[in-house]
Amino acid sequence: MNNNYKILLVEDEPNIARLFNYTLTKAGYTVCFAENGLVGFNKVIEDKPDLIISDIMMPEVDGFEFRKMLLQHKSVSNIPFVFLTAKGSEDDILEGYNLSIEEYIIKTESPKIVVAKINSIFESIKRGRENAVVEVQKAADNLKIKVVPESFPKLEGFEIKHYHKPFESVPGGDFIDYIKINDNTLVVVTGDVMGKKWGAWYFAVAYAGYVRNAIRVACSSVDEYSPKVIMQKINEMIYNDERISEVFITLSIVIIDSNLNTIKYCGAGDLPLLLVGDKVETIKSNGLLLGFSFNGNYEDISFEINPNQVLYLITDGIVELRNNDGIQLGYENLGNIIINSLKKESSLTEIIKELSLYSNSNFEDDLSIIQIKKI
Amino acid sequence: MGIKEDFFNDILVETVLHERATIAEAEVLKKQIAAKYAEGYKKIIIDLSECEFIDSTFLGVIVNTLKRVAKVNGDLKLVGFKPAVKSMFELTRMFRVFESFTSVREAIKSFE
Repeated sequence: MNNNYKILLVEDEPNIARLFNYTLTKAGYTVCFAENGLVGFNKVIEDKPDLIISDIMMPEVDGFEFRKMLLQHKSVSNIPFVFLTAKGSEDDILEGYNLSIEEYIIKTESPKIVVAKINSIFESIKRGRENAVVEVQKAADNLKIKVVPESFPKLEGFEIKHYHKPFESVPGGDFIDYIKINDNTLVVVTGDVMGKKWGAWYFAVAYAGYVRNAIRVACSSVDEYSPKVIMQKINEMIYNDERISEVFITLSIVIIDSNLNTIKYCGAGDLPLLLVGDKVETIKSNGLLLGFSFNGNYEDISFEINPNQVLYLITDGIVELRNNDGIQLGYENLGNIIINSLKKESSLTEIIKELSLYSNSNFEDDLSIIQIKKI
Repeated sequence: MGIKEDFFNDILVETVLHERATIAEAEVLKKQIAAKYAEGYKKIIIDLSECEFIDSTFLGVIVNTLKRVAKVNGDLKLVGFKPAVKSMFELTRMFRVFESFTSVREAIKSFE
């Protein structure tokens, strides 16, 4: 099974530990050890394995006791648990299954059968998770919460496109929005709700929706279309809203005026914009993460785009992509990929292709990129 | 591995012993700090000397902790930035709001 799952094996008998370490490692799992239930408990709290395999008869804290300790700790009680033991009496097996375990395996089973059973547990977890993801997506769809617009906006003299790939297909971390103020003015927004991966996906979707709404409200209530003014208004809303005091959001706001051919930009904890032509320029803002302090130090930065230049707004999932050696993509490599892509017909598709190649399509976060071209 | 906790009078030191601090480590750090905060610790040092990389979720926990302790006149100080960790703080401009030190000893001294 090709995976990154981590298994904690709690076993006091070194030979058996070695045997199962060999078999499970060969099957593609990462294995760590503990020699009794007490050491095992501390390892579970520290390392949060994906599955625990435990013997029953062990010194100090035995397997049953170990399982009971885990069940009392909400944060680890749901980690799949398997007994692997020589104790094969009906009473023992029933006592084991009474402790909310996935499987009770007798040590006389061959290592191959044990691995097959473990694979099957992970398969079933994966299926359950896929179902949950579908439910989240359905719920988000039913609530009409879209974190990314379905189509690209139109603005005279500009071509605007985006690419968005949510982490494990669950919406909610990164979001993109376009707000057309009038025929000549477009507000382009991208942001990242930090901590989407907490397991609080429903909330991350809601926060993204909240911020998008706040931006629309701010846009309709300002006299002057300045990203700084909009940013400050949103920051105040978020800072003063106790319900989301633990959430931090990065945000990039760009206002394009097609009449004047000007771009105004303000950022909050976001990554610098990339302005790419023959060379790569980064445009950095000074603003702090939304919701961190009442005064986020937001400033407008104004600039122009020439017809041979393209502006990119990105979120951290892009620059943090890693190759097989674990090396991050970073700004320099991203800049080179973009420069090369501009020679091609469909540059955004080309960039995505190169990012997939670099990371071997192993995406660890949401990926969002907006491309703004002067035509 | 793990996140080690040490105490120097009323100062809590969390030493992150992971090369990559992401979601799992963020959850552990959040839990450990919440428990100690409930006991009254509001002077906190996070030692990141062992970390090669932190993601935005982990950064979120650090930022949230600072926001929380600052409200009760506490503080959170950081120790030991490796290049990628430093760049994460720089990119999000958070280096401006955290005091950082090269050793835990210096950070403890700054609380005196």
